[in-house]
Amino acid sequence: MSLEVVLQSIFSAAFIATVIRVATPLILPAMGGLLSELGGVINIALEGIMLAAAFTGVIVSGFAPQWFPGAPAWSYAWLGALAGVLVGMAMGWLIAFFHLELKTDIILTGLAMNILASGATVFLMFSFTGDKGSTSTLASARLPSLQIPFVNNIPVLGTLLNGENGTGYNVMSYLAFVLVAVIGVFLYRMPAGAHLRATGEMPDAAQSVGIDIRRVRYQALVASGFCAALGGLYLSMGYLSIFQANMTAGRGFIALAVIYLGNRNPVGALIAALIFGAASALGTRLGTMAIPPQIVEMIPPAVTIAALIIYNIRRRARINAAARRFQEQVEAGATAPASSS
Amino acid sequence: MRGMARFIEPVRIIAVVLIALAIGFVITALVSKEPVQAYTALLTGPLPRISFENGFEIKNINRFGNWLEESTTLILLGLAVSIVFRARQFSLGAEGQMLLGALMTAIIALKLSLPFPAHMLLALATAMMIGFLWGLVPGLLKAYLSVDEIVSTLMLNVIALQLFDLLLFNWLRDPAAGFVGTAPFPTSAVLPLLIPGTRVSLMTVLMLIAVVVVWFLMARTPFGFELKMLGANRKFAEYGGINTKRVIALSMAASGILAGLAGAHLSMGLLKRLTINLSPGLGFEGIVVALLARNDPRWVLLAGLFYGYLRTGAQIMERSSDVTREVVLIIQAIIILLITAERLFPFVQEWVQALRGRREMAVEGG
Repeated sequence: MSLEVVLQSIFSAAFIATVIRVATPLILPAMGGLLSELGGVINIALEGIMLAAAFTGVIVSGFAPQWFPGAPAWSYAWLGALAGVLVGMAMGWLIAFFHLELKTDIILTGLAMNILASGATVFLMFSFTGDKGSTSTLASARLPSLQIPFVNNIPVLGTLLNGENGTGYNVMSYLAFVLVAVIGVFLYRMPAGAHLRATGEMPDAAQSVGIDIRRVRYQALVASGFCAALGGLYLSMGYLSIFQANMTAGRGFIALAVIYLGNRNPVGALIAALIFGAASALGTRLGTMAIPPQIVEMIPPAVTIAALIIYNIRRRARINAAARRFQEQVEAGATAPASSS
Repeated sequence: MRGMARFIEPVRIIAVVLIALAIGFVITALVSKEPVQAYTALLTGPLPRISFENGFEIKNINRFGNWLEESTTLILLGLAVSIVFRARQFSLGAEGQMLLGALMTAIIALKLSLPFPAHMLLALATAMMIGFLWGLVPGLLKAYLSVDEIVSTLMLNVIALQLFDLLLFNWLRDPAAGFVGTAPFPTSAVLPLLIPGTRVSLMTVLMLIAVVVVWFLMARTPFGFELKMLGANRKFAEYGGINTKRVIALSMAASGILAGLAGAHLSMGLLKRLTINLSPGLGFEGIVVALLARNDPRWVLLAGLFYGYLRTGAQIMERSSDVTREVVLIIQAIIILLITAERLFPFVQEWVQALRGRREMAVEGG
């Protein structure tokens, strides 16, 4: 394939549609991670929570006919989603409990949760379906896609608004964008959001003005579990309706990078997630041009590190400049005639 | 009282391990039709069976070998993690350093032609060197630019994996193999076997040497002291005159050397080639080993042996019963959680007291 054809395929609505599809499971956990990180309790178990929620959704929606015999067929997916979200919130709560009550180290707790999710999902998958690799034998449900009517006939807009094959983006993708807006409003326009940020930045100061930092952190971790669960549910119930062992493939960790690359705010994280998604989508397209996909996949992590370096250099420069200005002020004040006492 | 305190810690760890194993048994019993048989396989599988039927004979030596092989990798990784964790640097880069170490040995083994000891030694040396460099990068970033090491090492892990896949697919791949992997390494680049019937190799001896070296480094050298001080309190260490930047960078680099060696063990000792999916998260399991050992190299040896035993037992359990080996991961997670729970015992005490208080009130009231 020639460069022209590849460039054409990149600067196309279909590419943007792919990026949105690939970035959704990064945006959702990144929002969750953002909330907990801003509250001062970094949640590195996003990966494990996504995995656990993905598994729970598939199992519950697959066994719903047996477990909830009276329920209508369309509800199976939503039952699965509800169960997945509850599992995610429970895992967030567990992390909070172990860290805040039993004083475990937050990193090690998150690590334990990742290992637990990895083991428990395969273990239970084998118990429920007899298969250790995937739930291919189980007929689980899919979450619906939202198709925007009437636009499919418009050439570019149709693909842009309704995805590559015109059936619409999954409800989770819409939810992801809505979530970014909601969290943005929450963090910067609502008192509770200010409390959260205060708890993360200066816990002692926050505590002294009466903010219950323990409760805030509990809520932050439960909320991060909620968001990460949404991301996991999208993986197993969004376009596919299957769970495979370790299907999250490191997305929970990439979400952490997304948070830092996005400078720890919702819109930044959204853009960073789209960048990572674009790199993934780019990788497959460039692969046809004999540029190995691995090189393209290396770009976002490298960009993240570069961004962190630049951010820290600038921060240090700013601090030094402020310190110098303060020093000059002090000296200027010292050479001025002393006030008579 | 101080002697008592030192005694309590190992007891606490053993208690936690027993609790975790017990919970694991309960979980096994819930899903298995033959839990006792399964758990027996888990707990006794890796031991060799010594029989006297036809004279002195050791059966199932390969299972015992599996135990030692797994433990060797885990102990090397545990040593790597213990160095950085002792300095309270949360470098999670062992996974990437290990992969690049293995990759380096493959390049040396397959692209160069040298006679026996030189070939193998060169491969080992380059594996350690690349691990050193891949650990030095986040170390310098943290020391001089304050870049958070959790994110940088996670990102470097991703880059390392992509580099590994890239070179494997495009340069080192053996078209004759039926799967994605390299050709087998020439015997001049393979670690010599120690126990016939197993894959236990020279690396196990190197591992033991590494334990002694790391112990000596941490307990008897100024660098070890600086590590400990940095881990206790960075500002205080700086006040005491320690160049914390240098220690941070060197601690991550030293950790990388050991992780690179672990990668060499996988490629030169166990598989004798390179394949995709070389490591299913072994780097993170090294963290568990270091945690169990409280970052002390001597305990890393024991913790690694214990942990390798569990993993081998789980594989045997899976082959001989209806329980999957992932139950060991669940036990692992419980161990981590309970061990790092500093307030676990006081919490349980308070809970018990609250129960007793409520019971007493009920008795008084009734």
